[in-house]
Amino acid sequence: MRLSSARLAFVFVALFATGVSLLLTAVYFLTARVLDREVDAVIRSEANNLVDEYMRGGLVQLVATLHRRADNWGRTGAVYLLTEANGYPIAGNLAGWPRDVTDYGDWIEFYIDASESGGVNQHPVRAQALLLPGGRQLLVGTDILERRRLASRLRTAMFWGMGSSVALAALIGIGYSRRVRRRVALIADACRRIMDGNLAERLPIDASHDEFDELATAVNRMLDRIQHQTEILQTTFDSAAHDLRAPLYRARVRTEEALQHEDLSAAARETMEATLAELDRVQRTLGTLLQIAQAEGRGRQVATEDVNLASLAREMVELYQPEAGTRGIGLDYRGGEVAELRGSRQLLAQAIVNLLENALKYVPAGGHVTVEVTTSREHIALVVADDGPGIPEHERERILQPFVRLERDRKQPGSGLGLSLVAAVMRLHDGTLALENNDPGLRVKCLLPRARS
Amino acid sequence: MPLLLIEDDLQAAEYLVKGLRENGYEVEHSAEGRDGLAKALATRYDVIIADRQLPDIDGLTIIATLREKGDRTPVLILSALGTVDDRVAGLRAGGDDYLTKPFAFAELVARIEALRRRASTQSETTRLKVADLEIDLISRRAWRAGRTIDLTTKEFQLLEYLMRRCGQVVTRTMLLENVWNLHFDPQTNIIDVHMSRLRNAIDKGFAKPLIHTVRGAGYVLKE
Repeated sequence: MRLSSARLAFVFVALFATGVSLLLTAVYFLTARVLDREVDAVIRSEANNLVDEYMRGGLVQLVATLHRRADNWGRTGAVYLLTEANGYPIAGNLAGWPRDVTDYGDWIEFYIDASESGGVNQHPVRAQALLLPGGRQLLVGTDILERRRLASRLRTAMFWGMGSSVALAALIGIGYSRRVRRRVALIADACRRIMDGNLAERLPIDASHDEFDELATAVNRMLDRIQHQTEILQTTFDSAAHDLRAPLYRARVRTEEALQHEDLSAAARETMEATLAELDRVQRTLGTLLQIAQAEGRGRQVATEDVNLASLAREMVELYQPEAGTRGIGLDYRGGEVAELRGSRQLLAQAIVNLLENALKYVPAGGHVTVEVTTSREHIALVVADDGPGIPEHERERILQPFVRLERDRKQPGSGLGLSLVAAVMRLHDGTLALENNDPGLRVKCLLPRARS
Repeated sequence: MPLLLIEDDLQAAEYLVKGLRENGYEVEHSAEGRDGLAKALATRYDVIIADRQLPDIDGLTIIATLREKGDRTPVLILSALGTVDDRVAGLRAGGDDYLTKPFAFAELVARIEALRRRASTQSETTRLKVADLEIDLISRRAWRAGRTIDLTTKEFQLLEYLMRRCGQVVTRTMLLENVWNLHFDPQTNIIDVHMSRLRNAIDKGFAKPLIHTVRGAGYVLKE
């Protein structure tokens, strides 16, 4: 997320900078060309005028014109020189014919020494050299210092312009990226709180009516619906719990009451005791269902505490060891002593107990069950492995659903809720449950995230 | 002193009151939360048995009000909600024990008895003695007729729990809750195996057994 908004801002800045640079460069070159052309046109027309005058009035008139023009030198920056065929100057404001100029009609550029208030300075001159009929040479040009200064100023302005637009674009880009990041972070935080069970939480809307608001509004409407449904489900579960337990409660109390009578026949007594056992079984199933619903729903926050899963697993193994012994099954704990996490001790204990009871139920006498808790950098792994009949691979996914049991276990008592509860408890703790092949037997692997220290 | 039962399920309440009276208790019944609270504040009871969900004010509010007024009468919460968190909420509100409906009547009696006795339990001791069985709570050692008995940590805790409630019926659920800190009923009956191990350790080879099974209820340790 952080990367993508920064990348977006970077692309924006790069595109913007390229665009601005292209535009400014084009403006610069176009302006420079217009200026050059203007200068050239002035020089060319002046040269043509002077040649015309020479043709019409001869040398005398040209010299007179040149003298007249030279008076304006300081103002116009015009440069003139008329020489004899051997190069001897006749008129003009240039001391001598510039060296290396032999191509008549071409544009030439050279430097002259111009005396100004601050002293003598080199000024660039652009000029055209012409060969007059009779072999005399005429040079018409102009001081282009100002034009060069203008071009240089234009270049400077262009670089500043580019620099400041890139800086501005970068600022806007960073600001935009921060804003996107902040809003995404706000939304992600709200989502996390909602996932942690606070269904009343909503995504923030900042009234800017942007896409984020639009998204948040849609998600919030969806959350309203989900919250409504969850509440209905929760109420249904609570009243089911109450309404189913009340008659169970009465039936139990009544049956027990009836059992108090001394004059009961043995058959009636047996029936009543069996009824009590059935009632207890229904109660247990109901309780497990409610527990699954609570762990899955997260609607009601489950109380958490610091739990050492390693010592909890060891305790549960010790609790079941005598029972395993009477069934001729070896039950051992292997693994570490400390594996701290935040969670519900009761639910985790129940998950371990369910896994142990499953193993003891299906592993035949002479088999082995091992429980292992190990920690890695990020996870705590709880593994319950046995060498019993295992679960066929195609059934492993299905068996985690409530009330699903393997066909071969139909004759065994059980509700089909044990593994579902384990799966729900793992999900509640942000963990995962995997059924694997132990070759032979079943290997149940629970991965839980470690407590952040 | 009498017991107070606050329960809105009239049919169930009738059976409970009858059953408790047959067990020799004096019982008063209240079908409403407000009425129950008024009774609890006006009279001194041995134990209050309060249903958690009542039509007017619920059981947790009754307990909270009693505790606020400094009334420390032991309260047993009855609840149709059986999840771990409901239990935690009940005990946090000031309840002393929690029983999920439906329950065996023997379970209720055993818990009432435990709460009654707890109220009158004397100060902490470091040694407990029942007949010729003796345990030291500090060194965590046990003797019978002067002979040392080897016990595991859990076996010792189990024995201590039974000796502290000498003469009282202790149910399997109570043992799971108090010795193993497990607030749910596993499907397998694991307690009996542990009890038979403990019996082997302390009663084997002695003419007079101290641990007795109470049919349909649990165990009792007595002379």
